[in-house]
Parts: sequence; C-alpha cells; structure tokens
Amino acid sequence: MRKGAQIVLDCLRAEGVDLAFGYPGGAIMPLYDALEGSGIRHVLTRHEQGAVFAAEGFARATGKVGVAIATSGPGATNLVTGIADAKMDSVPLVCITGQVRSPLIGSDAFQETDVFGMTLSLTKWNRMIRSIDELPAAIAEGFHWARSGRPGPVVIDIPLDILKASMEFGGPVKFTPPRLANHVGPESTFAATLIALLQQAKKPVALIGAGVKLSDAVEDLQQLLDLLNIPSFATVHGLGALKQKSPYYLGMVGMHGTKAANLALDETDLLLVFGARLDDRVTGEPTRFAPHAKIAHFEIDPSQLDRVRPCDAPVIGNLAETIPAFYQEAKHAHLPDFAGWRAVACGPERAERTHSPEPGETRKQGLAHPTKAFLQELFARMPKDDSGFILADVGQHQMWSAQCFRGNGPRGFITSGGLGAMGFALPAAIGVQLAKPNATVLCVSGDGGFQMNIQELATVHRLGLPIKMVIIDNKFLGMVRQWQELFFSCNYAETDLSDNPDFVEIAKAYKIAASMIKEEEFLDPGQSENVARRLTRFFRSTRPELLVFECHPEANVYPMVPAGSSLSEMVFEKE
Amino acid sequence: MHIFQIRYRNTQGTLMRILNAVARRGIELPFVQAEPSENAHRVTLLMDINAKQLGQLCRDWRAIVDVVEVRPGAPIKELWEHAHLGIPHPPESVVAAASVQPATA
Repeated sequence: MRKGAQIVLDCLRAEGVDLAFGYPGGAIMPLYDALEGSGIRHVLTRHEQGAVFAAEGFARATGKVGVAIATSGPGATNLVTGIADAKMDSVPLVCITGQVRSPLIGSDAFQETDVFGMTLSLTKWNRMIRSIDELPAAIAEGFHWARSGRPGPVVIDIPLDILKASMEFGGPVKFTPPRLANHVGPESTFAATLIALLQQAKKPVALIGAGVKLSDAVEDLQQLLDLLNIPSFATVHGLGALKQKSPYYLGMVGMHGTKAANLALDETDLLLVFGARLDDRVTGEPTRFAPHAKIAHFEIDPSQLDRVRPCDAPVIGNLAETIPAFYQEAKHAHLPDFAGWRAVACGPERAERTHSPEPGETRKQGLAHPTKAFLQELFARMPKDDSGFILADVGQHQMWSAQCFRGNGPRGFITSGGLGAMGFALPAAIGVQLAKPNATVLCVSGDGGFQMNIQELATVHRLGLPIKMVIIDNKFLGMVRQWQELFFSCNYAETDLSDNPDFVEIAKAYKIAASMIKEEEFLDPGQSENVARRLTRFFRSTRPELLVFECHPEANVYPMVPAGSSLSEMVFEKE
Repeated sequence: MHIFQIRYRNTQGTLMRILNAVARRGIELPFVQAEPSENAHRVTLLMDINAKQLGQLCRDWRAIVDVVEVRPGAPIKELWEHAHLGIPHPPESVVAAASVQPATA
C-alpha cells in the first residue's frame, strides 16, 4: 500500500523529475511529509511566485519540465502569474497544488479556491483529482501535454484526503494520446511550394522565434539559412538561435529591434517564419505588417497560423523535422542569389545607426549609451559557449540587454517575453543556476522588478548560488516613464521610485555581498581600470553577489516603434 | 449569427475551455447545447462574431487538447428562437446604463 502523496512523488520520479520548487501549506502537507527519501530535491523559495518562476527558469535552461508545488488557496493563486507566463512563452511546466478535502470542495472552506476553474484559460491542460486511483494516469498525461507539441503549463490539483489515502500501487503508467483529427502535419509538397516562392521572390527574409530552440532545430536552421543566405532576424525569444557572426543576421526585430531588421521586414516580399507567433511587439501595427510579403510559416501549433493575416504556405510540424526536410530539397534546387537585396538589407548604412557600443566604449552618445556600454562590459565577461545564461527581467533593462546580447548558446537569453512579468528574473535565475550548477548565470533586473521578488535573496543565500545579480537602478519604472514621456506629455504618474531602499544594504541583510557603481564613475576615464577590475572580480566570485548600477533616470530605449505604427516608423534617440 | 459545432472528448474542463475562448473575448452566447455524439460529445454554439474573431476562435478551439473537430453549422430555426428567449438566471446583472446612473440622496 502507498499513500497518495507517495504515489505523486513516485510518478514525478518516473517522469524524470529530481528537482522541484515550492512552498508548503496545509493542504499539501502530506506531500511534503513524504518528500524525504523520494529522490526529489525540493527547493524552498520564499513565495510561491518565486517557486513557479524558478521552475520556469529550470525548464527554459534545460528544455525539461519544471515542477512547482504549492498549497491550496493563496498558495495556488500565487502561482497564477507564473502559469500565465509559461503559457505565453511555451514553457513546459507542471504545477502540483493541494486542495481542501474532497467533502469540503465547493463549500468556501478555509484556503479553498477554484484552482481548476481559475487556471482553465491559462493552462494547456489541467485536472482536479477525484480519487486516488486517478493519480498515476493524470500525472503521466499532464507531463505528456506539458512537453509535447508546443510546450505549456499544466496544473494538477489534489485534495488533501487523496494525498493521505492509500491504495495498492502497481507503479507509474505511460500515457498514450488519442489520435485526433485536428493533429495535422505539413503538406507533402510543402518544400516544392517554398522553393517556388523563393524562386519568385526578390527580397526574402527569415524571422526566427522561440520554436526553433524549443524544437532543438537550431543547427538545422543555421544550415538552412547558410544555404539560403537571406537577411534574417530574431524575436526576443529567438535570440541566440543564429550565430551572431552570420553575415546575413540583423539582430532583434520588433518594437525595440534594429533598424536593419525592421526595415527588411517592412520591405520583404517573402517572409519565412520559423517558430514565432507574430505577436504585436514583433509586427507593429498588424494591418501594416510586412505589407508586400507572402508568408511561409514553419510552426508546430496550427493555432498560431494566420494570426496576423492568412498564411500563404503553412508548414505544420516539428521544426526539427520540417526544416531538415526542406533543406534536403532546397540544396538541390536552383535558388536566386539575392546578393543585391542582401547588400541593401545587410549593408553598412542600415547597420550604422543601430551600432551597439563595444566593450570599453563609454563615450556618451545619448542617455542610454552608458547603460548599454555597462551591459556590454558585463556580457563581454560571459562565457562564449553555452555555459553562460543571461536573465533579463522586464522593462528598459530587458530591451537594452536584448539589444546588447551577442549569444552564449541557444538558451543563453532568458526573459519573460510574452507576459512581461516583472519580478521574473531573480527566481528564474535560481532555477537556471540549479539546473546548470557550473554555468555563469547573470541576472539583470530593474529597480522596480527586483523588488517584486526581492525575498528570493534568502533562497539564493540559503543555497549559496553564485548568481551574478545586477540592478539597473534608474529610480523609475523606466519603461512606463518612457511611455509617459513620449505619449503622455511627461506626466510621470506613479512611476517615481526615487525613494528606493538601499539595495546594497538590503542584500547585506540577506548576507549577500553587494556593491554599487554609479554612471559617472563608469564614464570617468580615470576610474575605468578600477571599474574593469571590479567587474572581473564580480564575475570570478564563487558566491552570490549583487551589483547595483545607478544610471540616468531619463534614459530611453531606442530604436522604438510606437504602438500603432508600422515597423518602418521607428523613432531614434536624438544625439 | 454564426453557428459552430465542436466535437470533443468529454474530459474534465474541455467544454469550459471551449466556452472560455468565447467568453474571454466578450462575445455573447445566446445558445449553447452540449450532447453526446457518436463516440465523443458535441457542443453547438450560436454567436454573433466578425471574421477576425471567427479565425481566432477556430484556432483557439483547435488548440484545445481534447477537441476533435471544429466545423461551422447551418442555421437552425430552433436555435434562432432560443437565441431570443433571453430568460435571466438570478442574480440578474445590472445593465450598464443603470449602473452608471448618479446616486440620489
């Protein structure tokens, strides 16, 4: 006989889980009671949102399913932001929530919430367990949906009495999905269709999204684009998928993308989309998106096709299968060279304005440059292989980081892109560092976002994780302030954070080493050696460290495509 | 008005996911009928939507794990009649116009 809680842990182990993040409470206590000896390491965060973001960080760094555990009621509701984040960014995640005893369900019992109903629209799949014998099949099915197709979050809600109940347990089970009529693959002639489109095209481009990484199709895509040799660019989640030095690579596209990428996307007559859902931060005004282009879309999730406008050539399926299949056909086809188009799209005239500062370049060219130069100095110290991870929180520093990112491997840039959840980076960095103990993990936050999950400094300290934490402190909710400046007549309503706490002292209270570099210090040529030495020491440290960079409060992120504008209508920083 | 017939495996929450896709867009559903159909279930939905919403809904429905098939249905006289019955369940929500009337002392 095994108890429900033991069965849950046995089934998690059978799915390959050896690490889970969570926070205990009344309705989930039997699961915690059974943890010891289960083979699963549990990491106690200081808030359930920290647990779910940490599980996301683990999943994003490894491609494996992240697991978060919480109790009923407030424990479960605190998971919700992370669940929504995982849905938007296609992160494989399984959340186990305790629930009040079965007889009390629906009675508004203490710490009861309708977790099942609440997470219906945020999950790929969810289940409330009604009897102990449902547990093995439900957990197997939950993990299947979390990691299959387009990955996503799953919630399994387990009443307390089921965790405590016992039954004869024959062992974990396997889930075999039913064959459904709506699961379709690519047309057999898709490669010929795409080749014909390429032969007719004058200005083809490639847009790379997260799906390339999720499908482990990075090398396949590089091979294909080396063959096609067409201007290519990435969404924020596609960053790192292509080698930075690829001569046809134009960087990030979208609201804060490069001039070259945005203009190429605006002018193209054939857009090849690889695993991207074309959200509004990428397209600009949807009715004016790639106005001259036919669209060919490689995508595993049919529901992502035709979102902006009808797709001319859908290629439905796993990109790790469809991209190599297309490559095999394309390499034998007579394709145009596109040299003239490449010279325009990738030429120096377009690249010049989007130049990011090189390491060591600290000349003040607008308010944002010192911060970008600082980030470049940091990023230059990251490992050049896939043993480095940069986590960016949400806001201006996120976009500056994305603009400065030069690649540490396909999964090397991790951020909350779709939901844009402030407070993501610090707990997610915990998950990354635990998943990759030998990796260099750099966590970049703003002063607003850092305070949203600042309590996770306690988790970092307890585990002794050598995360390099950086706060870009402009004493504002910077991105909102930027929009207030540009679109709300400089009415800085409730974005002033000038009474921020002393982050260095707070970190020290958590027993974490901390220091500050001010922008003036960074820009002072007389201090450059000292700053360089401090940054090097910061990166060499084997313990947790926090570095606060105090930057100009009114630095803005440019280029910028204002909401409602087309990608060609970028606004640049006045110099 | 558009009519859709969606076949689905009647697993926990699948019907709610189908309806949520409509509700999250603020679309009214004057008629809903769910019933067993062959070896699955079928829900018939009547709603007034534009072409963009139609595309979004069909994509959302097809992405639901246990949805088997989504297809438009032909208008049925009975559905139209149901659509205009308008019988409220208590508690009845207050119409927007009434809720913004100034308070009187």
